Amino acid sequence: MDDIERELRQGLLRLPAPPGLKRKIMARKQARDAEATHRRVVFWQRLAASIVLCSAVGGAVTWHNVDERRKGEAAREQVMVALRIAGRALDQMNAQLAEHNDGK
Amino acid sequence: MSRDWQPDFEQLVDEHQSMVFSLAFRMTGDRGLAEEIAQDVFLELDRYLGRIESPEHALNWLRRVTMNRSADALRRQRVRGMNLWVEMDENHGAIFEERSSPLGSRLAGLLATLPSPQRAALVLRYQEGLTPEEIAAALESPLATVKSNLQRGLKLLRAKAESRLKEYIRGN
Repeated sequence: MDDIERELRQGLLRLPAPPGLKRKIMARKQARDAEATHRRVVFWQRLAASIVLCSAVGGAVTWHNVDERRKGEAAREQVMVALRIAGRALDQMNAQLAEHNDGK
Repeated sequence: MSRDWQPDFEQLVDEHQSMVFSLAFRMTGDRGLAEEIAQDVFLELDRYLGRIESPEHALNWLRRVTMNRSADALRRQRVRGMNLWVEMDENHGAIFEERSSPLGSRLAGLLATLPSPQRAALVLRYQEGLTPEEIAAALESPLATVKSNLQRGLKLLRAKAESRLKEYIRGN
């Protein structure tokens, strides 16, 4: 090692870190961690809200479909009852007409 | 490799803040920028902490990332047309005078005038005491390039010292 290398080694001693560097690093880390936590909380909140919303919409659609089917069934039942009543009335009328013809 | 060692971020900051700041400052010549780089490097270390396997790994990682960040900062400044070292050239040595010989201080100042690859190699060699192989690993450069940068840097520094620091050379 020559003189210039020796002098260079002495001239390039590590410098002390500026006062407060560690405090600034820890503060930035804390702020970043808090921000990350906040982002995580917001993410889960949004996810939960989305699930609730999807469930509500899905439930409403399902309920609407079931209700429509129930109303359809009820209407069909009513038509069947009406047809049965009409059929019975026609049978009675046929029977009366037959008795009337036999009497003649 | 033993995984018994658990990295403690605060302890790593305590141990290495001086090294990280010194490397960044000697590469950029700007105290504010060096402090900013040091903060960014440690915050990146915090993100990378789970993959740090040993104290040596942490030290080498910090050296490598600090040199990369400093090189990026210099590149950005060059793109903006600024030269951070212009003002440092004359008074750079002042910061070292309390801790080293006057010639050492002036040489540290002259180091600022070298091209950044040579400066990086010399800073790692003489501040950190690394071997050329370790410097090559830290700078992610071929060994031959590092050796060449060390030789050229020293030669250039010697020439500058002879022409600009004659009073010190004679005095020693």
